[in-house]
Amino acid sequence: MDGSTTAPTKAKPKVGKPIWPKVPAEFVRAMLAGHSALGLAFAALIYVVCFSGSIAVFTYEFMRWEQPERPVLHEVSPQAADAAFRAVLAKNPKAHDLFIRLPEPSSPRLSVHGDDAQGGEHTWYADATGKLVGEQKTPWSTFQATLHTVLHLPRAWGGFIVGLTGVALLSSLVSGVLSHPRVFKDAFAFRWGGSKRLQEADLHNRISVWGLPFHLIVSLTGAFLGLTLIIVGVLALATFKGDTSKAYALFTGPSVKDDPRPAAKVIDIAAILTNLKARYPDARASYLYVEHPGETGQHASVNLVTEGRLSRGETVIVDGTAKILGEVGYESGSVGLRVLATMTPLHFGWFGGWPIKVAYLLLGLGLTSVTSSGVAIWLARRRDKGRPAPRWERVWTAFVWSQPLGYAVSALAALVVPAPPVAVWGAVTLLATATAIAWTPKAISAALRLATAGFLVLTAIVHVAVNAGRIADPVAWIIDASLIATAAILAGSVWLSRPKATA
Amino acid sequence: MSPLWALALSPLPLAGAVLLKRAWDRPSPERPWLIAGGWGLLVLAVAASVPLMGAARGPFAMLTLASMVALALVAAGVERRNAKKKAARELAPEPSDRKRVVWRGWLRGFLAGPLAGIAAMGCGLAVAICAPGQIQSRMVIGGLMVPFLWAGGMAWTLSDDKILRATAVLVGVSVVTLGAAFLKGAL
Repeated sequence: MDGSTTAPTKAKPKVGKPIWPKVPAEFVRAMLAGHSALGLAFAALIYVVCFSGSIAVFTYEFMRWEQPERPVLHEVSPQAADAAFRAVLAKNPKAHDLFIRLPEPSSPRLSVHGDDAQGGEHTWYADATGKLVGEQKTPWSTFQATLHTVLHLPRAWGGFIVGLTGVALLSSLVSGVLSHPRVFKDAFAFRWGGSKRLQEADLHNRISVWGLPFHLIVSLTGAFLGLTLIIVGVLALATFKGDTSKAYALFTGPSVKDDPRPAAKVIDIAAILTNLKARYPDARASYLYVEHPGETGQHASVNLVTEGRLSRGETVIVDGTAKILGEVGYESGSVGLRVLATMTPLHFGWFGGWPIKVAYLLLGLGLTSVTSSGVAIWLARRRDKGRPAPRWERVWTAFVWSQPLGYAVSALAALVVPAPPVAVWGAVTLLATATAIAWTPKAISAALRLATAGFLVLTAIVHVAVNAGRIADPVAWIIDASLIATAAILAGSVWLSRPKATA
Repeated sequence: MSPLWALALSPLPLAGAVLLKRAWDRPSPERPWLIAGGWGLLVLAVAASVPLMGAARGPFAMLTLASMVALALVAAGVERRNAKKKAARELAPEPSDRKRVVWRGWLRGFLAGPLAGIAAMGCGLAVAICAPGQIQSRMVIGGLMVPFLWAGGMAWTLSDDKILRATAVLVGVSVVTLGAAFLKGAL
């Protein structure tokens, strides 16, 4: 955080003695130096991860938006789930595993994921009877989720870089709080206009302070989720001679012996769901992961969600005869397991319905703007000291506004052309950043915001046109309306920041 | 219904933030009461969320919404300034001006990145392997400590001017914790 402030004006009454203990100025200055160095080193990565994370909160809703014609199911019978499972298994009877996703409030659809004989992966949607109605095609939703979790890099590297970015963000929060001795004195000060540095500092510091609980939660859980592979790897090296599967086995519940001989009959999903409903009447099955279907060693891991809990749900292991073997312990086991089960919901805001999702989106965008304003403060400070960096001012402005534009254009492209959204996003990011060569920061900011607004409106229009007369999911309409509202806000922000004519 | 409880409770943190802002706005005899009332309402909102939304879920939901409403209140109180008039500045803290020495820069980067990471990993491993308690709990708590300690180490090494002291501490912590973890070596 930046410690910039102004002298109080005469009209402003004094607010009394600060209750925050006096922090030595040298300590604050040293912390600010570390805060600046870290923020600048990771600025672009933190910005991309925060922006993509804000959007990823609505991953399920975007999947529904991309295929709004698919059946909206609030509940399905165990028999329907079983029928869908068997229909997909019939496409590849030698499938190693199948993943059945049951309707949930955020994703009211029945789908089955599996691989084909050539190893290609497919997800099929089914209707209320379990009849397959088509394949899942959600390239843009997958693109944005993958960008946030692994930056479209190989899992090990991408996860590590995102995890390291989370650590850098967490570190910035620590140094930012320690370098902000006026945390209470300036708690509600928000001044816009006048000094650029003061304006950016107020924006940076107010969002940082009041959003601190959220910032700490998402950065800690994000760093943990990203670094899981490396943490487990080192742990396995120290304790299991490098065998990571033994470390993971501690978190997978009762094991079922692998037995590839053909089973007398294929695992019965309907029987499993019926048994589980009798044993856990308050819980709702959200997904089943069936391993080795058709073999003697076939079994399923079923996730059960109980309303009102923070956790992602309890996982129950069931054998090929639908006999319940036991729980992993995500809700009934050790403290560690219960904490682990809360990591994903806490990180993505998937624990309190749409009010929390909206809050996560806005707070996430707030954190994104904290990153953006942090660099802007550094640039403004250089300018104030007579050492301006105009090239970096242009590059940073262009990069910041390249992301909304890249998302908008890639979403539009995904609707009309089969090009991979990541390629479109990458090309737009490069092109938008290249505007730094020619324009001033103000012109870049205005042009890219207006272009984003235009593409958002176009995306909504094309989406409605492409799916004309067959939108079954109301969420699609809400997202289209939200795109237009976002476009209006962006265009409005350009209008409000236009140069005023002098009298 | 339970997601809507979060919305139903949001007037409580809003009222709390309003009281805190009134205390911040001007000194008055009621100021201590306004501060106590403001924080009291925030605590009440969190407490009320427990029976309505769940013991773990409620407080996290309320913290999220409280951040939102407080920021909305800050935004509502925006003070527009004339861009032409440059405000008089107080002596705002400036980052300390360090001499630019190449080897110190590289060493600082090494300390904040790999070495702080190794030291944090060592602490996490030591907890996972040597601490009492159930295996899974030790692993998860140890795992959660890694990013937190790494972040702390990063913040410290990047701001501490006594760079050799930071090196010695991080090397020492790495040797002790990793040594203990690999010596014990079994869960």
